[in-house]
Amino acid sequence: MRWESSTRPAPLLTATPVRTLVDEQTCIKASFLPSNHPVTVCARMRSDEGDLWQSFAHYNTNSSGMFNLNSDHSVGGSYSGCEPMGLFWSMQPAPGEREGLRLRKKCVESPYTVQISLLEGHVSPNQDPGKEVAAVTAERWYMSPGVKRQEIRQNGLVGTLFIPPGPGPFPAMLDMWGMGGGLPEYRSSLFASRGYASFCLAYVGHKDLPGPSNTVNVGDSYFKAAFQFLQEHSQISADRIGIVGLSYGCYLTLHTGTLPGVKPACLIGINGPVGSSRELLHVNVTTKKSDQDQVFWSFDDQGYIIFKQTSLPSNLHPESIVKLEEITCPLMYIVGEDDLSASSIENADLIEKTLRAAGKSHLFTRLSYPGAGHLIEPPYSPMSRASFWVIKPEKLMTLWGGHPAPHAAAQEDAWRKMLAFMELSLRR
Amino acid sequence: MDNSLQRVKLSVHPSRALVDEEFVILVQNVPPGSPMTLHALHCSEDGHRWEACGHYIADSSGSINAADDCSVGGSYLGVEPMGLLWSLKPVPGSKPGLRMRKKDVQTPMVVAISVFNGHHSEAFVDQVSLASWVVERWYMAPGVRRIPVTEQQLTGTLFLPPGPGPFPGLLDLWGGGGQLVEYRSALLASHGIASLALDYLTNEFTTQTGKMVDNQYFETAYRVLQQHPQVLGSRIAMLGLSLGSVFTLKMAVYSPVVKLRCAVCISGSHIQPVSGGPQEMMDLFTRNIEKINFSEQNEVIWRSLLLPVPSDPSMKADVGRLRCPLLLVVGEDDQNWCTQESAADMEQMMARAGNDHLLTILSYPETGHLIEPPYTPHTPSSMYRGAGVDQKMMVLWGGKTPEHSAAQEDSWRKILTFLKKNLYGGSDPQAIHRSHL
Repeated sequence: MRWESSTRPAPLLTATPVRTLVDEQTCIKASFLPSNHPVTVCARMRSDEGDLWQSFAHYNTNSSGMFNLNSDHSVGGSYSGCEPMGLFWSMQPAPGEREGLRLRKKCVESPYTVQISLLEGHVSPNQDPGKEVAAVTAERWYMSPGVKRQEIRQNGLVGTLFIPPGPGPFPAMLDMWGMGGGLPEYRSSLFASRGYASFCLAYVGHKDLPGPSNTVNVGDSYFKAAFQFLQEHSQISADRIGIVGLSYGCYLTLHTGTLPGVKPACLIGINGPVGSSRELLHVNVTTKKSDQDQVFWSFDDQGYIIFKQTSLPSNLHPESIVKLEEITCPLMYIVGEDDLSASSIENADLIEKTLRAAGKSHLFTRLSYPGAGHLIEPPYSPMSRASFWVIKPEKLMTLWGGHPAPHAAAQEDAWRKMLAFMELSLRR
Repeated sequence: MDNSLQRVKLSVHPSRALVDEEFVILVQNVPPGSPMTLHALHCSEDGHRWEACGHYIADSSGSINAADDCSVGGSYLGVEPMGLLWSLKPVPGSKPGLRMRKKDVQTPMVVAISVFNGHHSEAFVDQVSLASWVVERWYMAPGVRRIPVTEQQLTGTLFLPPGPGPFPGLLDLWGGGGQLVEYRSALLASHGIASLALDYLTNEFTTQTGKMVDNQYFETAYRVLQQHPQVLGSRIAMLGLSLGSVFTLKMAVYSPVVKLRCAVCISGSHIQPVSGGPQEMMDLFTRNIEKINFSEQNEVIWRSLLLPVPSDPSMKADVGRLRCPLLLVVGEDDQNWCTQESAADMEQMMARAGNDHLLTILSYPETGHLIEPPYTPHTPSSMYRGAGVDQKMMVLWGGKTPEHSAAQEDSWRKILTFLKKNLYGGSDPQAIHRSHL
């Protein structure tokens, strides 16, 4: 190494703070380097499944031999420009890792451990790793200390409840995801880390739910029961409960929010339809189309499924379209303008039009992000433009859309505005 | 609960931090102008409960920010963002003479922070808080490695920062109570310094043989550090508190083996039998035992034990011979050692020798003996057992809590700056020669 010396210690690389929540920033700096010198900063971490994700960026030290990601510009690598959290959101699976990956934290009680390294010169860690000259380890947590996680399997409900520390009662959110199924907990655990009780609810593709895993086998009474579960909870304020949903979960948010007897304090929909359809409910996608199936999904030239058309308002079952004019609480709708999985713009337009006609525009907040895709999730996490939708009977990838930098900016801005919206609707 | 209080929100950020990092406590949605109490509760490793509280008045926007607002009562006063931590005291009814010291540095100190309606100073157990949060305070950053050191009859623990190194090194010595105290070294490693915490009084050898180690023990520890593949042997410092400072100065001035880049002495002295080691130092204390005084509460005051400052050169380290920067940290209310007098004498000696440009003295009014990393409770007196002594006694350390806590914060920051400047910065004489090759 050119500037290694047996008389100088390694440069000092720091991340402050070293332990943060996933939606908090950390400042990466280095000092005691040669002045005006090229360096590469590299970040690596393993998902819960053991896949290696990584990113890197090229910087130049200043005349004092320092650099600071909060103020300096990356001149190459996984991102460019001044991006304090770029190393985190630009991570991609390392070469040689499995294909079609999407980063989702399964165990929210343990952190992601991110190794941040400093390499000499402007290198590409994959082609020519060079020697690590300094390192720092950062922990990224989905749960604050003191937040309680409870698995809920009662009254037929399948979900996980997160309660903040303290006596309560707390405002709460009912949290739903898309037709990918399962029970993603990481948004709810973050809400609880911000003082909101949050109940993430499974409704498809979960072993504890009745019926076959590739269809939705629960109906209105299930979602109403979930809302009531929160209302009746001793540590939750019954009149300060909101509902949030992404993708098909957005439809469920709007639908549940207008069920008789359900009075949410706010609704948040992300990139989802205002109605349902047989196709939307059908998880079992194959490349073979039978003559009887009228499907709206398509395949691009790489064979990736594009679900977008399925949720066009004109392709939705008319009777399923939520009576948005009956909404009585504030509604926030978040649009990724490069969403290839849902017709978010068209659905947002329909919501806006309906509410305006009903004289309820004051209830509506629309956030729209150019370059952002379908999966608008908590900030500073890597995005996937495409990932596996199914692997059996054959491997099929789906296109989510979005490009890293604008999608990252959208996640950061949307999260902040969601929390502010929840603060206003659930606490005042 | 009163409806207007249902919306109260408490947040503390960051909720996970190093022990020496600040946090921000924010209370919101409180009726403007209403009196509120912030409360902290900690259950220590040895099962004792510690608490602190601050009295605030919510502003016109219904908020309280401990970083900007004034506490008007409780265990701390004024604008004190970290007051809830440094003013922690054992709850009423606790055993007298407690001192909080983290033994297991691999787990955090957990503190529950709450907000109560009104101004209260006691009986918090009987009340329901409006809101509560939990924070973790860590001595070790992630990636720091903890390595027990037992070679060559040493009893110590090495803490290595994450990364390949090489790192500057530090030998970390505590005082007369002995034991292997790890938390300061763990924290230093979290700041990029490979730090070896060394037990030199109750170590394996001494407990097995009944004999104290000699000065070579420190030289062995220095060598072990110097030869570690991830430590830069040319950049090693020593840091000693209390009795630890005696051996720090002895090594810095007299050892042919120990070559220090810099030294830090906290609450210490240069007064010592120059040619002796730990045993001879203990003998010196024993010979002067009648110089012990007692406070009105019958607490032992040891500060006069080594006084008056001797003029006999064989009885104090000749700091005029020092060739490395020295930082002295002095508590002006130190009731355990004659730190102030010693510092004044060292200054004179170095001025006469012409090396006082190497000396920095940090002197803090109303500050006691136990100057430790910041935001940890101040111990004005505690039950103490000296190494090798059977009896425990109540010892007066000195200091008033607000001033002592401010001193801990200020001195730690300056100690880190001093260490980084000397261990990371500056040129090395050999480096200049190499560049001419």
